[in-house]
Amino acid sequence: MLDFFREIAQILGHNKMRTFLTGIAVAWGIFMLIILLGMSRGVLNNFNSFQSAENASTVSIWPGYTEKAYKGYREGRAIQLKDTDLGTLAERNSNNVRTVLASKVIEGTQLSTSRDYVAESLFGVFPENQHTDRVEIVHGRFLNDSDLDGRRKVIVINRKTARVLFDREDVVGERVNAMGLSWLIIGVYDHRWEKSSYIPFTTAMMLSGSDGTVTNIALKIKNVSSAEDGDSLDSAVRATLASTHNFDSTDHNAVHIWNRFTQYLTGVKATSILELAVWIIGIFTMLSGIVGVSNIMFVSVRERTHEIGIRRAIGAKPRSILVQIVTESVVITTFFGYLGIVGGTLITSLIAKLTEQADFLKDPTVDISIAIKVTLVLIAAGALAGLFPAIKATKVKPVEALRDE
Amino acid sequence: MIIELKDINKTYPGAVPLHVLKDINLSIERGELVSIMGASGSGKSTLLNILGILDTYDSGSYHLDGTLIKNLSENRAAELRGRMIGFVFQSFNLINYKTALENVALPLFYQGVSRRKRNALAMEYLEKMGLGDRATHLPSEMSGGQKQRVAIARALVTKPSIILADEPTGALDSHTSKEVMQLFRDLNAEGMTIAIVTHDPNVGAQTNRIIRISDGRIVTGDSPA
Repeated sequence: MLDFFREIAQILGHNKMRTFLTGIAVAWGIFMLIILLGMSRGVLNNFNSFQSAENASTVSIWPGYTEKAYKGYREGRAIQLKDTDLGTLAERNSNNVRTVLASKVIEGTQLSTSRDYVAESLFGVFPENQHTDRVEIVHGRFLNDSDLDGRRKVIVINRKTARVLFDREDVVGERVNAMGLSWLIIGVYDHRWEKSSYIPFTTAMMLSGSDGTVTNIALKIKNVSSAEDGDSLDSAVRATLASTHNFDSTDHNAVHIWNRFTQYLTGVKATSILELAVWIIGIFTMLSGIVGVSNIMFVSVRERTHEIGIRRAIGAKPRSILVQIVTESVVITTFFGYLGIVGGTLITSLIAKLTEQADFLKDPTVDISIAIKVTLVLIAAGALAGLFPAIKATKVKPVEALRDE
Repeated sequence: MIIELKDINKTYPGAVPLHVLKDINLSIERGELVSIMGASGSGKSTLLNILGILDTYDSGSYHLDGTLIKNLSENRAAELRGRMIGFVFQSFNLINYKTALENVALPLFYQGVSRRKRNALAMEYLEKMGLGDRATHLPSEMSGGQKQRVAIARALVTKPSIILADEPTGALDSHTSKEVMQLFRDLNAEGMTIAIVTHDPNVGAQTNRIIRISDGRIVTGDSPA
C-alpha cells in the first residue's frame, strides 16, 4: 500500500508543473465554496440569533389612525390601545393566545444621581419582555411578577447608563431618581441597541395618569404553525379591536399588527433558498475544477501511452493501471482540495474576526461537518474525474503503444 | 517444449483483410537460442507479439510452458506475461523518470513483491549485467549499450521461462551489438531460453537456430534440429 503511494508520488512528482496547475484549479474551487458557505452561514447565524420559532410566536399591535369612515366616525381618527383591551383580546381569541403583554413607554424622562444624569425613556413592561426584547442581564435580575403586583418602584438600567450615573456597572441595590421618585436598581442589562430603562408595567400605568392607554400590546400565541394560521389570527385580532374601538375591521391602518411568526416563516424560506443557491454555485464552481482534473488526466494518459504500454508489457494488469490513474486523480483533488479547505477556513475566520461587531454577519465560518462533507465529495469527485481517463488507459494496447516511432 | 505453436492463423480485419500468419507450426525447446528472421512485413513482429501474449490469434493453438494461451482475459494475460516472459525491445523502453534500479524492479512491483526484496533482486541482476555502479542513474544518463543491459536485467528479474527480444541490437553500434549478443549467448549458456527477432544476418548467425519467415509462412527452422 505504502509502495503503491510511493509509485503515485513519483509519477505526480515527475510532472510537477502539471500536477500543480491542475491542483490550483481544484484548490480554488474548494476555496470559493468554503467562503461562499461561510458567508451564507454568517447571514444564517445572524438571522437565527434574532429569530427562533419560540421567540417568533409573538404578535405585536401598535395603534394607528383610521383611514376609513365607520359608523359616523370620520377617517383619520387616532385609535388608542387601552389596558382593558388586554383582557378582551385574551378572552375572544383564547384558542391562539397564550398570554397578553403590553408596554407603556414614558418618554423623555430624566434619570439622575448625585454624580450625573441622563434623559431617556422608561419602558413599563412585563417579565416576559426579557425574552421577547432579548434583554441580557449582566448584574442582578429582570422584573418579576411580584414587582408588577406590588407596583414597585424598581428599575433595570443599561450598563452604559450605569457607567454614566455611577461610573461603574455593578450598581444593583443603588438608587436613582426619576419623575420625582427614588427607584431601586434591581438589574443591569446589555443590549445591542436598546438604551432605555425597564420598570414594571403596572408602575408605569399608575404614574402616567388614568386614561389607561398603553403604547403597544403583544400577544404570545399558541397553536399557530403555518402562514395561513398566522394570517387568520391577525384578522381575528383586528376584528376584536375593531368591535371595541369602533373601526372597520378591514381598515389596516387603524391598528398595526406585526406578526413575527409569519415574518419568521418568510425568513426561514429565504434563508433556505440562500443556502441552496450557495451550494449550487459552490458545486458548479467545484465542478469546473473537476472537469479540469479530468481533462488533465486525459492529456496525461495520452502522453503516457508509451509508458503504460511498457508497464503492460512487463506484467501490469489493466486493473492496476485503472487503479493507478484513479488514485492519481484522487490524490490531486484531495490534496489540493484540502489546501482549499484550509485556505477558505483561514479567510472565513479572518472575516469572522473583522466583522465581529457587524450587524449583518455572525460567525461566518464553516463547521467541521461541512469540511468533512466537502472532503468526501472531493474524493468521490476525484475518482469520477479519473475514471474515464483511466478506462481509456486500460484500453491501451501494449503492441501499439510500444511500436517504435 | 517451452513453446509449441500449431496451425496458427492470424488475419487483421479491414477493407482488405490482411492474412499475416498462415498455418504457423513452430516449437522451441527449453534452453534454445533461436532467431526469427524475415523481411519487414513478413509477419515476424506479429509472431513475436503472439508469443509474448501481447496479441491474439484466430485459429490453432499456442502452448507456453505447458499452458494453453487462448482466449485469456487481459488480467490473466498480464499475469502470465509478467511471470513467464521477459521482453527486450529495440528502443529499450525504460521509464525515463525511474532510475536503473527502479526500472529493473518494476515488474516485481506488479507481482506484489516487497520493496526491499525486489530492490535486492534488481540490484543482483544489475550487478550481473555489470551495472552495479549505475543503479541510481536515470536512463538519460546512460549509453545505449548500458540501457539495453538494464532492459535485459529487467527481463531477467522475474526469472521468466523465455526471453523475447525484438531487434535488441537495432539501435546499437556494431561494437555494442557484439557485446549484447555475447550477453545473450552467456545467458543461454546458463540455460535461459531466448528468441530474438531480427533482420540482421550477423545477429542470426550467432544463434543456434534460425527460423525464417516469409509472407506469413515459416520457410525453414520450424522445429529443433
